[in-house]
Amino acid sequence: MGPLFETIRSRLLVGLAVLMAGLLGTVALGAATLRLMQQAVATELAALQASSEVGSGLVTSVFEEIRAAQQYLTAPGAEAWAQFDAAAEHTVQYERRLEALGDLTVEDRLTVNRLKQLHATIEVEYAIARALKDLGRDREAVARTVAVRPQADELTRLARSLSSHQALKASQAADRLAATSQRRERTMWFILSMIAAGAVLLSRWTLQAVQEPLERLVTAAERFGSGDLRPVTTGKMPREFRVLADAMQQMGDRLRQIVAAVIGESDRIAGSAGDLSAASVKMAAASSDVASAMVEISGGANHQRGALAAMGTDLEDLGRVVAEMAEAAERVAQLGEEIRTVADRHRDDVATAGNTLLDVREVVQTTSRQIQQLAQLSTAIDDFVDLIKRISSQTNLLALNAAIEAARAGEHGRGFAVVAEEVRQLADESARAAEEVTRTTALVREQMEEVTATMAAGQAKVRGIETVAEGAARALGEIGAAIEQVEQAATRVRFAAQAQRETGDRLQHQAGEVGHRATAHAASAQQVTAAAREQGASIEEMAGAAAALLEAAEKLRGLVRGFRV
Amino acid sequence: MLRGAQLAVAQINAQGGVRGRPLKLRIADDSGSEDQAVRVAEQLYADPALVAVVGHLSSDASRAAAEVYGSGPSPLVTISPSASSPELSGLNPYFFRVCPSASTHGPRLARFAREVLVARRAGIIYTNNDYGRGLRRAFAGEFTRLGGVVVEADPEVAATPSLEPYLSRMRRAGVDVLMLASERPGAELALREMSKLGIRWSVLGGDALAGIEAAGAIAEGIHLSSAYLPGRRDSRNATFVADYARAYRGQRPDHRGAGAYDVVLLLARAVDEAGPERRAIRDYLAQVGRGKAPLEGVTGTIEFDANGDIPAKPVVIGVVRGGRFVSERER
Repeated sequence: MGPLFETIRSRLLVGLAVLMAGLLGTVALGAATLRLMQQAVATELAALQASSEVGSGLVTSVFEEIRAAQQYLTAPGAEAWAQFDAAAEHTVQYERRLEALGDLTVEDRLTVNRLKQLHATIEVEYAIARALKDLGRDREAVARTVAVRPQADELTRLARSLSSHQALKASQAADRLAATSQRRERTMWFILSMIAAGAVLLSRWTLQAVQEPLERLVTAAERFGSGDLRPVTTGKMPREFRVLADAMQQMGDRLRQIVAAVIGESDRIAGSAGDLSAASVKMAAASSDVASAMVEISGGANHQRGALAAMGTDLEDLGRVVAEMAEAAERVAQLGEEIRTVADRHRDDVATAGNTLLDVREVVQTTSRQIQQLAQLSTAIDDFVDLIKRISSQTNLLALNAAIEAARAGEHGRGFAVVAEEVRQLADESARAAEEVTRTTALVREQMEEVTATMAAGQAKVRGIETVAEGAARALGEIGAAIEQVEQAATRVRFAAQAQRETGDRLQHQAGEVGHRATAHAASAQQVTAAAREQGASIEEMAGAAAALLEAAEKLRGLVRGFRV
Repeated sequence: MLRGAQLAVAQINAQGGVRGRPLKLRIADDSGSEDQAVRVAEQLYADPALVAVVGHLSSDASRAAAEVYGSGPSPLVTISPSASSPELSGLNPYFFRVCPSASTHGPRLARFAREVLVARRAGIIYTNNDYGRGLRRAFAGEFTRLGGVVVEADPEVAATPSLEPYLSRMRRAGVDVLMLASERPGAELALREMSKLGIRWSVLGGDALAGIEAAGAIAEGIHLSSAYLPGRRDSRNATFVADYARAYRGQRPDHRGAGAYDVVLLLARAVDEAGPERRAIRDYLAQVGRGKAPLEGVTGTIEFDANGDIPAKPVVIGVVRGGRFVSERER
């Protein structure tokens, strides 16, 4: 297929042009045939007319000659002979025309020659007859005219036969014309049938050129519709359809790219959501652990407080000795207050962050932050526990000293010795509880680290947490400073206790401080518990969001799975 | 005529022919008959090797044949050396002649009759055909114009047994000169009957009577018009007459032989220059004297007019004297 047939339009144009040319050719042939026939008929008719006219004219003028001559012979006169001469001249003209007639056969020409001879002879005979008449030899003249009669008859017959021969030729020519026209007619019918066949072929060809590419395009479109986006081969087709096919190919390419991107993205989202979900589950478990650990801490602290309260009543007398210790403890309490404030602020920060973390990412960030805060808190707990440990060890020492003092007092100190023993036992118990708390906290921290590690894997993208983390770091710095002060205070307490080791007041005070501390401790533990619960809720929320996300991602994946790319 | 043509062909072929090929002469006899002329013409026309016809001799045969040659898909040129009827002028584009027509002969004879013979009354006997009628008309027109009277003009044909009634009537009416616009049979019949009747008029004849000197005493003293006399003072003609006499045992050529000789020379030149195509030869001939150089032949200068005639060629009046046709010195 040449470039001429690349488009349906050009096919139609070329085809129609060919058909039109054929039709015009047929029309031209028909018209030419008609004109030819007309011309030929006209020519033949003219020839026929001319020949019959010449033939009859010849005969007539010869008869006119004879008539004029006879008239002269009857009544001689110049007029009659002038008529004879004129008729003779006419006859000669007719003879010329006869000779000049077209398509005379040899036979015809011989006949014309004979006619001329006969006429010449007749004319001569009458001329001689006239001479004889002029000479008065009438009888001879009459004999001449009689002798010429057969020749006149022959001339008439020849002229007529020539005319009829021409007529025959005309009819033959008519037959030839009829045959020619029949041939032309057959040719015309042939051309017309060829044109008709050409038209049918052209129609089928054009129909194919439209139908086939259309079917292929429809098939391709149906494939696209059913989700099969793989490239289709549309094959060779006219330019009009090729534009459509190219557009469909481009559409397929674009769809393929989009669906591929969507599938990739949905896979990634589903993966992330899964990870998130798993992380939330772990985090929930971890925060639950924290909560339960904190409940234990809280319980321990309460227990300690109760023991300290009992010890306090017993140590009222030791007030003076313990006063300084109490003062130091007061300071510690202040510091603890500060710590609580810091922790409050932390909780506020966490709450604020929690409010802002509406979407999954923020929840994750919040969770992460809270976990970090929990880590900080657990460190604080450790510190508390250390303090408690130290206090209890001091208390133990104090109790030992008290027992020694009691022994030295002898019988009077026996009651005090019993109290000191009780205090020592309490201190031991407190130390054990603190040990317990340390272990639990370590466990919690371990779990939290695990959670943090898990979270870190899922929250590589989370960056906003840094500000909150920094806030938390600052707060923790403050806590650190406060704790340092606590340590200094504690050091001072120890020094004071060493300086005033005999004074039970200090013990009493100290015990009271311890009680306060324990109360604070318990409160702190409760705060931690609350925070852990809150975190747990957040994590659940996050888990819910993660689950929703996962569900959405799965649904999306299910949707795009229908596409074949 | 045949001899003149044969002599020309022999001379041309002796010099190597035309375009390196010898000329070949195909000879056909029309016997002076129109019927035979038509038959012959059909045969010659149908021969594709034939490129031109030299002939025919008489006006009526030429006319009948020319109608055949000039028609159909492949017309054939014909050049008559001697057909002089004025009716043949411009008959068709393929007909030429190298002799003057009766339009030249007739007036020349009429002037001779009026001015030399000082005749006033003329009788005419003419052959009732194109030639005779043409010559009669040309003569009578000029004679009347010059103040003469044509007493009567009487037709004859070859079959006419006797012209005596015409001669008797002329004698009664009185004529000074008898113009024989006839062919030789009719003219000889008239001369014989004149002799029998004891009539002694001056007698004139056209070119058709050439050779009538052979008829003997009755022809003595007849004046004839001719476009060619063997005694023509011209070196080309002298050579031709000598060659002719050498080739044909001392015979003298007449205007037909000389004309045929010229026609062959002319056709040879046409074929040499235009090629052996019928159409090309015709187109070449039509330009001879009108673009192409005229042919200086033994009969004089040949240059055609639009009718295929040679109007420039003069005719002379000769006389039969002592059994020979000789030049008549005008008084």
